[in-house]
Amino acid sequence: MSRRASRAGLPTVRGLARGWRWGSRPLVPASAEPYRPLPAPPREFSTEWARTPAVRSLRALAQSAALKPLIWSEVSPTVSGLDHLTGLRGPVIFAANHSSHLDAPLVLCSLPPAWRHQTLVAAAADYFFDDWWRAFGTALVFGTVPLDRTGGATAAASPATPHTLLTEGWSLLFFPEGTRAPDGQMAGFKTGAARMALAAGVPIVPIGIRGSFAAMPRGRSWPVSGRPQVSVRYGAPMRPLANESAKKFTTRLAQEIRRLDSEDRSSWWSSLREPATAVPSRTDGAAPAHWRQVWASTEPVPEPGRSTPWD
Amino acid sequence: MTRPGFVLDVDDRTPPLLVHAGESLRLERFPDGTRVIYPPESLPGVDDLDATIADALENPVGSEPLRALLFAGMKLTIAFDDLSLPLPTMKPPDIRGKIIEQVLTLAAAAGVDDVELIVATALHRRMTANEIRHVVGERVFRSFWPEKKLYNFDAEDRENLSHIGLTDAGEDVEISKRAAESDLLVYVNVNMVAMDGGHKSAAIGLASYKSLKHHHNSHTMVHSRSFMDHKNSELHSSAWRMGRLLAGHLKIFQIETSLNNATFPEQYGFLSKREWEWSLRDQAMMYGASRGLDAMPGRLRRKTFQSMRSEYAVTGVTAGEVEAVHEKTLAAVHRQQLVEVDGQSDVLVFGLPFLGPYNVNSVMNPILAMCLGLGYFFNMYRGKPLVRPGGTLILYHPVPHEFSQLHHPSYVDFFEEVLAESTDPATIEAKFEKAYATDPWYTHLYRTSHAYHGVHPFYMWYWGAHAMDHLGDVIWVGADRRTTERMGFRSASTLADALEMASGSVGRSPSITYLHSPPHAIADVK
Amino acid sequence: MTERPSDPPSSRVGSRGPAVPRPSRADRVPAVELYRSVPRYLAARTLSGRLPSVAAASAAPLRLVARRPSETLPGWARVRPRLSGICGSDLATVTGRSSFYFSSLVSMPFVPGHEVVGDLLDDVDTPRGRLTAGTRVVLAPVLTCAARGVPPCAGCSSDRPTRCDSVTSGHLAPGLQTGYCADTGGGWSGELRAHGSQLFAVPESMPDEVAVLLEPLACAVHAARRAEVLPGERVLVIGAGAIGLLTLLALRALTPAAEILVAAKHPKQKTMAARFGAGQVLGSGDLVGAVRRTTRAMQLKPERGQPYLLGGVDVTLECAGSALDTALRVTRAGGRVVLSGLPTASPDLTPLWFRELSLVGAYAAGPDDFAVAIDLASGATEGALLREVLGATYPLELWRDALDHALSAGRLGAGRIAFALQSDPVAPDSRLESSKGSRP
Repeated sequence: MSRRASRAGLPTVRGLARGWRWGSRPLVPASAEPYRPLPAPPREFSTEWARTPAVRSLRALAQSAALKPLIWSEVSPTVSGLDHLTGLRGPVIFAANHSSHLDAPLVLCSLPPAWRHQTLVAAAADYFFDDWWRAFGTALVFGTVPLDRTGGATAAASPATPHTLLTEGWSLLFFPEGTRAPDGQMAGFKTGAARMALAAGVPIVPIGIRGSFAAMPRGRSWPVSGRPQVSVRYGAPMRPLANESAKKFTTRLAQEIRRLDSEDRSSWWSSLREPATAVPSRTDGAAPAHWRQVWASTEPVPEPGRSTPWD
Repeated sequence: MTRPGFVLDVDDRTPPLLVHAGESLRLERFPDGTRVIYPPESLPGVDDLDATIADALENPVGSEPLRALLFAGMKLTIAFDDLSLPLPTMKPPDIRGKIIEQVLTLAAAAGVDDVELIVATALHRRMTANEIRHVVGERVFRSFWPEKKLYNFDAEDRENLSHIGLTDAGEDVEISKRAAESDLLVYVNVNMVAMDGGHKSAAIGLASYKSLKHHHNSHTMVHSRSFMDHKNSELHSSAWRMGRLLAGHLKIFQIETSLNNATFPEQYGFLSKREWEWSLRDQAMMYGASRGLDAMPGRLRRKTFQSMRSEYAVTGVTAGEVEAVHEKTLAAVHRQQLVEVDGQSDVLVFGLPFLGPYNVNSVMNPILAMCLGLGYFFNMYRGKPLVRPGGTLILYHPVPHEFSQLHHPSYVDFFEEVLAESTDPATIEAKFEKAYATDPWYTHLYRTSHAYHGVHPFYMWYWGAHAMDHLGDVIWVGADRRTTERMGFRSASTLADALEMASGSVGRSPSITYLHSPPHAIADVK
Repeated sequence: MTERPSDPPSSRVGSRGPAVPRPSRADRVPAVELYRSVPRYLAARTLSGRLPSVAAASAAPLRLVARRPSETLPGWARVRPRLSGICGSDLATVTGRSSFYFSSLVSMPFVPGHEVVGDLLDDVDTPRGRLTAGTRVVLAPVLTCAARGVPPCAGCSSDRPTRCDSVTSGHLAPGLQTGYCADTGGGWSGELRAHGSQLFAVPESMPDEVAVLLEPLACAVHAARRAEVLPGERVLVIGAGAIGLLTLLALRALTPAAEILVAAKHPKQKTMAARFGAGQVLGSGDLVGAVRRTTRAMQLKPERGQPYLLGGVDVTLECAGSALDTALRVTRAGGRVVLSGLPTASPDLTPLWFRELSLVGAYAAGPDDFAVAIDLASGATEGALLREVLGATYPLELWRDALDHALSAGRLGAGRIAFALQSDPVAPDSRLESSKGSRP
């Protein structure tokens, strides 16, 4: 049948699959490259359904019964600083450094259930909402909402802007770096989270995550074997100072998260006095070599509370 | 933002490419290095069509505004192109109807009573009432049709033809008497390709066989290079001479329109897309459409295709003096269709679609398939043909031995009798044309039924004369061997076979060009 | 079915075996005989539409027998056939397609075959003089008053023996022709009886394969005469089998027709028609359209049925047996339609009435038709053309193959198929050998 069809020039499933490489991006012939189309504007993907009560309970079930056991079985997380949340009334913006796909589930699953059920993840519209299946899956399990990382146009146009979500009482998890750090070292922060916090008048809870880069860096789709240690450290909620600009607030946020990382390495106090950076700057002021940053990022996180007799 | 047309070089990243083959769609892997000419993407249409038309009528080029040309007591005739344009037929409302409505509104305001509307069919078949209604719109149809003030032109109605005179080259100009005796002739055209419009509108659309035979003959057609480029077309030179003579006798107000490239309705959008940009949905549509069509009974398949309505949008409306208007229209047409191509190749490939100008709501018979390929597609060039002299043309079409007795009675006989004797346009013209042109039965069917004129198949054959003269070899892929053989061509079952057959004249690794059309593209060959 | 007591005794040898029936007594001759069998007749008639070859070869009530010839009466002579053609009317009869009209004009069981060239075994007087034994003769098959020993009827006395009214009377069993009569025997056998009035000597120089066509050629001559073509008229011959080609030949030789169009179905027939001198060869696919083109008539298409012409050819000769309906539709008002073959389909007669056509029958051939035919076939050009008409010969044992071949003769590129009844067949031996070998 299909041989007959291909002889007659009719398309066959196999022919189509070979011609267009299903599952990956179609290749543009070399001579057509100058005429490559601009990326289409992200399609509007409504996530309204993902916030309906039925889906919320489904998500709660999925997170506590499937996601958390899965993550906790593949990595060994240490969660600290949750006491900062006690007495805090939502909504808030959680802001964390970002180096792995593990980060969002780690934060979500480490949150107390009451908080977790009220928290959505702001996810890159161009990545997570590019394919319907990815958009659907993440919206179902993580409650993701699309966030345009180019300039906020989509977010503004879509019915569910982060702002409205905050005013509706949802907490949001932001990764202000905008993308997973390629070397595991924290990159510059975008001001989106700070602007959102200023506009909605909500506090930002900084979160420092360490070890997730080592556990599942960019390019891996599953954590490395051996249940690597990861640490999630919540900081005290931050509110903007009087007349503080979004930029300044962002700088402060970045410092705080860096400090949390440092605190995780040493102690709260020493981190306050002299933030310990993973990779010391070079004396000539230039950025450290790439490999050193990766090296530092993949430094194993020691297991907590297991001090050796020689300490 | 629409992207321009361009020439693709097939490389190993190129997916199989869409090829039309009559009432079927194929995917073909072309050899590496094949040049594929993609037309420019469809331009956006004008925002407010009514305002654009009003503006064109109010601010014509080289003429007073239409309003000033209308006066009470005058004789006004409105002629318009028939349904052979555009292809496929436009989704209603048709642009011609929109324009005619505005012209009539102005005429009514000026107190014009004597108005007649003529479908400029020349020797084409009479359009049916429904087809005319589609073109002019319900309102115009209801006002004029029952009164017989809206009718098909009849080139055999001797009493209603008027001999205007002879051109400098001695060509008879004989057109509709009503048009010739009008105070104003308004011609409403659709300029789908560069061949249409200009003096070809009134001087050909309303002319009789006596007049048409001066340019519709094998000699003229061999020297029309191409007839998509009126400055290098003998056919158009003759029409221009006639048109200028006509303009001296008669006030003509020409309204020309140009369309974008939205040839296919939205659900067939993948047909206008570049293959490597096909989404999964497009691929599924292609798979489903082609396999589904293949499985359909022939009648249903034809119905599916013939009921396809294009979503053409108007890119420009220009009115006024014929030649000035036509220059502007051509610019708009070229903006939409022109693609620069560097040099000729040894082999040229076309995929012929299901529809040509002469089989709207009908059957594409072998002669029409030939005309579409060697006449229309081959001539879609400016400068020089896409294929070198003596090169090979490969066409995709099944060319079934299938004729519509209703629309193409003389084609049947042309195929059985004339082509059995000769396929040379000049020989055919000398030996058979007159008999067919004056055959009483064909004339009767042309005048009373919906048949093309007896001489029309000859014109189709002449249409291919330039290509036959230029080409060394014509090979049809997937065609009925008996019909192609009768027409003097060869047929192959696959592209590979066709190239194998051509290797004798163009070698084992010829340069190949594939014109990825429709939508239309005119190659500007440097 | 019981055989009539008057039937000549015949011993059945089995209709299937390849062996030549071995007569138990010396005077028995092999013959293919058509006998009365209602089931077989019905089977053949049912099958003839879709599977004519099965109808003719297996279902038809035919058998190969060793038959004792009836006694030779005074004025009669024995003829040993050399070649015996298989005619369209024979095929129609064996496949049950001919009209029941015929049933009372024949007597069963009979040996078909009326296109015969053979050797005369006895001396006999003929109206054209005495013929001696050993003369090569052809047969005018019509069994007229003279042969039946009854006083001449109106037809015979006005020298039109084809119109004889006595074909069922006299001392012979009913039978319109030799080949339909139980008493005379027929061509598809080793021997038959012929009356002197039926016999014509064949010129020495004429080969057997031309002589076997003299009977159909005489019929063609008869038809051409019946057409009464006037000078300048345009004539259409429908069918380019043997009869069509011979009619074309006769029309060209005998009539002042301005142009003769021939409608042919198969490629070989088309080339043959062209070589036989057709002014134009038309395909049979759209015959009405093709005639319209030539005559520039008006063509109308009724809501049901074939299109037809207002205008058309002046005279049409129907030589295909099944195209009378078309013939009536393509002939101009006041024109003539000649029925040359045995009609097997019933036409819509409306055009006959509306167009005031003359429908003319042309049955068999009279003595003067034979004289003209012999004359015509003796011409060098005509002789050469006629040699190509006979496509193949078969020995009697291979009668099934012969009938099968004859039914598809047009498609297989043969004009006429014949039985070769004597040991040295005229057709190339190789073909016969190979077809013999193909039988188990």
